[in-house]
Amino acid sequence: MVISANAILASLAQAIMDGDEQRGRDLAQQALGAGLSPSNIFEECITPTLQQIGDKFKRLEIFLPEMMLSADVVKGITRVLEPVIFKEKGSVPSQGKVVIGTAQGDVHDIGKNMVATMLEVSGFKVYNLGVDVSTAAFLSKAREVRADIIAISSLLTTSTPFMKDVISFLEGARERNEYRVVVGGGPVTREWAQRIGADGYGKDAAEAVSVCRELVGSKKRG
Amino acid sequence: MRNYTRLLDILDRVENGPIIDETEFDRKLLPAKLKELQRELDIRYDRQSSILLDDALADRLFEAGLRLATDVGVLCTSTGRRITFTRQEILDALEFAPQELIIGRGLDRCTVRKRQVEDRVPPGVVGGPIGQTLPEELFLPIMQSYAQEPIVDTIINGTLLTVYNREPKTHSPWEVLVAWHEAELSKTAVNRAGRPGLAIGCVETSPSEIGEISASSYGGFSPYDWHQVAMVSELKTNYALLAKIAHLVRTGCIIHTFYNPIFGGYAGGAEGVAITAVAGIMLMQMVYMTTTHSICPTHPFFESDTAPEIVWAISAAQQAINRNTHLLTDVLVSPVGGPCTKVLLYETAVITAAITVSGTSRVFAVRSTAGKYQGYSSGLEARFSGEVGQSVAGMSRREADEIVKRLIPKYVDYLDKEPKGKRFDEAYDMHTLRPTPEWQSIYEEVKEELRKIGIPFKK
Repeated sequence: MVISANAILASLAQAIMDGDEQRGRDLAQQALGAGLSPSNIFEECITPTLQQIGDKFKRLEIFLPEMMLSADVVKGITRVLEPVIFKEKGSVPSQGKVVIGTAQGDVHDIGKNMVATMLEVSGFKVYNLGVDVSTAAFLSKAREVRADIIAISSLLTTSTPFMKDVISFLEGARERNEYRVVVGGGPVTREWAQRIGADGYGKDAAEAVSVCRELVGSKKRG
Repeated sequence: MRNYTRLLDILDRVENGPIIDETEFDRKLLPAKLKELQRELDIRYDRQSSILLDDALADRLFEAGLRLATDVGVLCTSTGRRITFTRQEILDALEFAPQELIIGRGLDRCTVRKRQVEDRVPPGVVGGPIGQTLPEELFLPIMQSYAQEPIVDTIINGTLLTVYNREPKTHSPWEVLVAWHEAELSKTAVNRAGRPGLAIGCVETSPSEIGEISASSYGGFSPYDWHQVAMVSELKTNYALLAKIAHLVRTGCIIHTFYNPIFGGYAGGAEGVAITAVAGIMLMQMVYMTTTHSICPTHPFFESDTAPEIVWAISAAQQAINRNTHLLTDVLVSPVGGPCTKVLLYETAVITAAITVSGTSRVFAVRSTAGKYQGYSSGLEARFSGEVGQSVAGMSRREADEIVKRLIPKYVDYLDKEPKGKRFDEAYDMHTLRPTPEWQSIYEEVKEELRKIGIPFKK
């Protein structure tokens, strides 16, 4: 039986929604076999499905574990598509690269993981450094992967000075223009973000994604 | 100290428990177990009621929390091991736990007692903006504004923004200094309020262990105060937190622990948050050898605990614990509204009413603006919360539910608007430390509204 390309994409979308990584990889292979290009698969299936997942999370119709599973399926699918994409374009397209972590001295990670996952499902390449991340570790990873954005979260007032340190260190190293710095978390406000010279502030995961999109766009233009 | 578990045994389990990768714990073990328990024990959030009205469901929720605590335990992220207990060990510890606590000194001491669901005795009142950062120059007047309220039994500190005008950093000498500054200022606050023996909830400006350990030594906070230790969401601890516990056990201090499951996070929705909260309270009893326990399930976008799903989860978790144990349970009121807003008072009334009829021992009143805005808090909201608790005590859950259902629509559209209101120095007269006429009249107006919908304020 020959399954139509549309049916494959519909099943692929469902696999992403269900968080079924194996099925996602198999269907991605089938989609390629049916003659669909990776850009077709992304434009017609993956991007709109991830958009739906992000919207569902914003409305809290799904929760973090489900969203993370969907992000894992997309990572699996991308690994299947990557060789073809490389052959065609030489690199895998992404919205931008984000190095993200919780500021030094703070071990809270759920809010930061929500932002990281929302960024992933929105097409960013995300390097999640975890919690209690030192200023040096942020800088070193950003340099290593040539990040567009350094995103720092904190739930503790006493860890927010480390956000300022990241910016000061970038200035000291004359690298401030290389990266956009986005901050967020419980005690962080828009005013504080402006005061320390951050480029962006996200009051929640959804706003963080739109701020990162805007900043990557302005970086590319600027 | 009346606890079933002992420090050395806990620390042995920290070093020898089952190894697990943190990602596995967060993303697989906990969510899968929660789903299984929800399904098997039929734990369902009923949107028709704002407060849980079903005793059988409360008891199934207790069972779900007990099984989660047994099957998952607490992850110590410093050792990468789970701290686990058998079902019988947990049941024995719950049986043995204290059901009464005398706190504070001299004429200012008070007794914290176990309350039942629909208890006629009102909950105790803990006044203070725990979790909100306070500008250094406002710390003393704000804390005094709570301590001077007669209805407040104990206070709990906010967090200092600066120390001698410098920004303190976690796990640095600054943390030691800021913790000591918190001790100095809060002791002055209770003295100025004429209540020198009032117990102080501390050390709030101690994100790592060093602030707590330093400022709880000679000349700082005393064993008569009550000392706070967090369980990290979800169901995690680490060496820094356990070092606080080791210090507090060896110095004979009163240990209060708190746990704030994140709605929409690894715990999932209202049902998962309720189960995780029940398990968290049990596990704090086991791992932290605690005397009092508080919860504040937190919204991922608003950072408050007043969204309808969370109000239900809190009432359900409180009933599950208070029907089946004699633990001393507390709940933090964390509204999005700030001083000089009606929203703050509506939200405070909802949480206070929901937990009063659900058997909570004490209400933590109030983390205004959900802790987001610095210095946006005042003692008046603690007075208001205490008055609601006194008036609602003895009501049935059904009566309270009717009131809560009429109040939620008054604020629900503001949850994402950050109605921060006015900072303390605009909401209070800074010379008399009394609410401004504006804040006083908003408070009186809302009380009048609440009287009309069935809250019988005494004055």
